[in-house]
Amino acid sequence: MSLLAVSNLTKRYRRGDNTIAAVDDVSFHIEPGETLALAGPSGSGKSTIARVVLRLIEPDDGRIEFEGDDFLALRSAALRARRARLQMVFQDPLAAFNPRATVARVLDDPLRIHGIASRSERPRRIAALLERVGLTADLAPRAIHEISGGQRQRVAIARAIATKPSLIVLDEAVSALDVSVRGEILELLLDLQRQEKIAYLFISHDLGVIRSIAHRVILLDAGRVAENGDARTVIDAPQSAIGKALVAAAPRLNRTLMRLASAGLD
Amino acid sequence: MSGRTEGGLIERRPQKSASKQSHTPRGGRDIGFVFQDPSASLDPVMPIGKQIAEVARTHLGLTWSQSYARAKTLLERVRLPDPDSALRAFPHQLSGGQKQRVAIAAAIAAGPKLLIADEATSALDTIVQAEIVALIRRLVTEDGMTLLFISHDIALAAELAGRIAVFRHGQLVELGMTAQIVDAPAQPYTRALLDAHIGLDTKPLLNRAGLHA
Repeated sequence: MSLLAVSNLTKRYRRGDNTIAAVDDVSFHIEPGETLALAGPSGSGKSTIARVVLRLIEPDDGRIEFEGDDFLALRSAALRARRARLQMVFQDPLAAFNPRATVARVLDDPLRIHGIASRSERPRRIAALLERVGLTADLAPRAIHEISGGQRQRVAIARAIATKPSLIVLDEAVSALDVSVRGEILELLLDLQRQEKIAYLFISHDLGVIRSIAHRVILLDAGRVAENGDARTVIDAPQSAIGKALVAAAPRLNRTLMRLASAGLD
Repeated sequence: MSGRTEGGLIERRPQKSASKQSHTPRGGRDIGFVFQDPSASLDPVMPIGKQIAEVARTHLGLTWSQSYARAKTLLERVRLPDPDSALRAFPHQLSGGQKQRVAIAAAIAAGPKLLIADEATSALDTIVQAEIVALIRRLVTEDGMTLLFISHDIALAAELAGRIAVFRHGQLVELGMTAQIVDAPAQPYTRALLDAHIGLDTKPLLNRAGLHA
């Protein structure tokens, strides 16, 4: 049984008199411990799918099974309880947190709300979470706005894993980071996946990163699945028009070097 | 990190004959600036034609009708579809890539000698980024502008720049021709930046043996 099975998902938005299908009959599944990447240009429906899967917005049509349950049928308390198993990390951690909160407060919330640890136990759990994501416990009293962008994204990951999720939706989670920090965060995500068997729905427009860390990829074009398969197979030899366009547009150091060499510059 | 191209083959000097008297360089007239987020740099309640025209009017002393004519030409040059109606459009009616085209049109409206693009394509998706990079390259060549291209993406900078300056913690680490920086960097930090680049031919981080699906 798949961890997440999405069938015939459709989400329409109204724009003036027209209705536009942001997501149009999309189906996919994610297995435990697997990374499925969603890629495509702006407006292809990547983030809409993420938001529907998280139930931040409701779809117009389709079915989502998560851990064997009809996820779209869950309401109130049952939905809140199940949400602990389905976490999210967004692109901009400063926008995702209360900027005036401390690191400890940000991590205390999920532990308290989901009844994971008692009040006396929580400081120790917060310290353990910080260490798990490569930070030190002395960061706990610091304000969110005081720490660096890389540290903040680690705190976002710590918050996501606090409730022991089976799936984390990562929406452009490394896109705003410095390249050296990005590499460290990707290593952390892979390490967590190996240790805790967490699955990722990894949304990105960066095919290089997807090829590096995802098992499978879905290429989206105007809300529809254009191509779907093993990440390296698809990206190394895309068959769809959008796949070819995405690959052609990616900056490539080797191609530049060859061009410079053939131009005879030194 | 920043990359810089010198567009064209002619070394540019202040054109004393073109202006009435020599002047200190002024932003908008002599130096065009394009920022990362066009939604933040464009006025949300002013038609885009006026935003471009007022640059030409302010710096070139043109009349409004001359300025609007110039704005229309600029919208054609940045390949915005249907320039006539685009003149009256507001920023929110355009896509991110189209807004960045408008911001570029406004930046070059007074015919600057230097164009500074500060992470001008970083917020765009890969396909639109490639289009905007191609647009900047074409405009810089056509107008003989110097380009200062500021980016965190060394692969992107290398595609555009003749020379690359690598910065870290406010200090210039290394400056050299693109081929030398990319192929034979002298500084370990430059090497680290290149190694952190994840391209389509980089060895994947994921070890496939790890999945128990």
